[in-house]
Amino acid sequence: MNRKILFLLLSLSVFSPELRAQLSGQNLMEYQYGRLPDEPGSSFSTIYDRFLLDYSLKGFKAGGTLEQFYSPFETRNYTRLAQYRLHFNSKPLELKIGHFYETIGRGLMLRSYEIPGAILEDKSYRSRQYFHRDLLGFTAKFRHKGFTAKMLYGKPLINVLPPTFKEKDRRLDRIAAVQADYSIKGQLLGAAMMQLDNASGKSWFAMTNASGNIFPYLAYYTELVKNTGEFAITDFSSAASFAFYGNLNLSFDQFGLSAEYKNYNNFLLGSGFNEPPALVREHSYKVLNRSTHVLQPQNEKGFQFEGFINFTDESALTLNYTRAVNDFGRKSVFQEYFAEYSFSLKEKHDLKLFADWAQDPFKLEKDRLSSGFYADWKLGNTTSINTSYEFQTFNRSGNAAQNQVFSAGVSIKSKFSGYVITEWSNDPVIVEKGSKFWLGAGLKYKMNSRHSLQFFAGERRGGPACNSGVCYEVLDFKGVELRLSSRF
Amino acid sequence: MKTVMIILSFVLISGYGANAQQVRNFVLNDLQNKSRSFDELKGEKLTLLDFWASWCKPCNKAIPELNKLYSKFQGKGVNLIGINCDGPRSVAKVAPLSKSLQIEYPVLLDMNAELMNDLNLSAYPTLLMVNSSGKVVWIHEGYVPGDEMVIQKEIEKQLSKL
Repeated sequence: MNRKILFLLLSLSVFSPELRAQLSGQNLMEYQYGRLPDEPGSSFSTIYDRFLLDYSLKGFKAGGTLEQFYSPFETRNYTRLAQYRLHFNSKPLELKIGHFYETIGRGLMLRSYEIPGAILEDKSYRSRQYFHRDLLGFTAKFRHKGFTAKMLYGKPLINVLPPTFKEKDRRLDRIAAVQADYSIKGQLLGAAMMQLDNASGKSWFAMTNASGNIFPYLAYYTELVKNTGEFAITDFSSAASFAFYGNLNLSFDQFGLSAEYKNYNNFLLGSGFNEPPALVREHSYKVLNRSTHVLQPQNEKGFQFEGFINFTDESALTLNYTRAVNDFGRKSVFQEYFAEYSFSLKEKHDLKLFADWAQDPFKLEKDRLSSGFYADWKLGNTTSINTSYEFQTFNRSGNAAQNQVFSAGVSIKSKFSGYVITEWSNDPVIVEKGSKFWLGAGLKYKMNSRHSLQFFAGERRGGPACNSGVCYEVLDFKGVELRLSSRF
Repeated sequence: MKTVMIILSFVLISGYGANAQQVRNFVLNDLQNKSRSFDELKGEKLTLLDFWASWCKPCNKAIPELNKLYSKFQGKGVNLIGINCDGPRSVAKVAPLSKSLQIEYPVLLDMNAELMNDLNLSAYPTLLMVNSSGKVVWIHEGYVPGDEMVIQKEIEKQLSKL
């Protein structure tokens, strides 16, 4: 089977110039030699590859994705056709058969995604796979003027299970949904119904949403989803299953404000194919990105305010306040205040300063204070030196814990960059006694617009990471890593 | 060994294949909930597609420079379309942020990153330059200060070919 797939893909790629002109694709290859620092045993080599090939002709597109992982451990290895797809696209009609991505509303009911460039590895299975959650089935979308209708049937992927598991075990839920929305005078009104079928039986969900502009400077979005099969439509008791999300946006010239509210109750659907908005800021700073509050859709209420001003001198101020309340018999309140100011020095060098204070009872982090800076020092027209320092301190069960990150790097145009990164921590959850120091270095070289090469050597600190709005666990790593990305 | 050879052959094929990426017509909603198509917005000679996200710092840094390029080339058959790929977690911030950054060109929402995946893109920001027949003639990933000059030179180079 695998040999046939390989032969087919290779034949398509080299067959003829005419055929190649209709082909596009991508390859991501990552080689690692190393180990998990806290696990016994010696270092070993692994290689991961993802090859994607598409053939396009007018409105049609057909393609497949081949994924492979090889290590010295037979049980972790695989070669498989990870995805196949057939798409048809015209202005009024869109059809997808095979593996596809679809989100209903803001993801309260259904969310699928692909995180570009992210490779997922779970500590239990130690096999590596591309980080995505797709659906296997079909979907059709019809558009006419302000009206859109969508239907889908599919089996969502349980992406915590690696491809070494049987496909049927990685897709335990079957969902069928219809959605329609209508736009009139800048207001969009929508409704959806979904049936979930799995080993627990069948359940029904209904969704309604509305969005638009109240004034030119004030916009809104609301979405309510409810399990209507097991609970009365008016039942919003603590036993019922429902999710509500709403936001208001305000914009005045260079000032913007977004206010969001959530109320989720018993709303983890099936194997977890839905993902209501977390309403927790996704930070680019390492100490904050890692400290994120992970949403509990079974029980969470809260809100988030974010305001930003972009001044005429191109400096910018961002302020954020987040509050999330969980009540699992005992109430816990997550709170975070964040401020960031970015500006230029002598219209040449870019600087960013941030400060953050949070309380996170879920992670047992009390009075968490984080601060730091990022600076980009421009040397001439093409070269810049960047430096950053981040500091974090909090109280965990009566013990003071600290995390520090320092990095320095150089960039020459967007073509070449190199960096050194060090981290230090005395957090008792990470190091039982004393403290730990991490040191790593990396290089990135863009050969041309189609190929890029990335290299890392040293020790990388793992932990929770959020990327493109999705959070996952990254494993620690000690060794060398080489990644080659190609597109054609 | 056999596996490594097979994987390497894919890597080589990726380099050998013709650069045939094509932007097919797509329909996405803009910040005012209106459906907009690529055919309706594309430039007469060239179209620049900027894939960005609100949480991506280099993306936000690039936007004032893209605004300037948009003003400069708007009347010369070149259009710029911002494709925002914020997911449900942060999409609420896109409209106020776009207004506060005073983006002058159209911004479309690709909340599920479908267009980005369709074009096999994997970095933020990514700027695609597309000719009048829909062929991708140039791709630029990332943004560091000074890249705006590289982009301007490439626009001028592509326009001079027409």
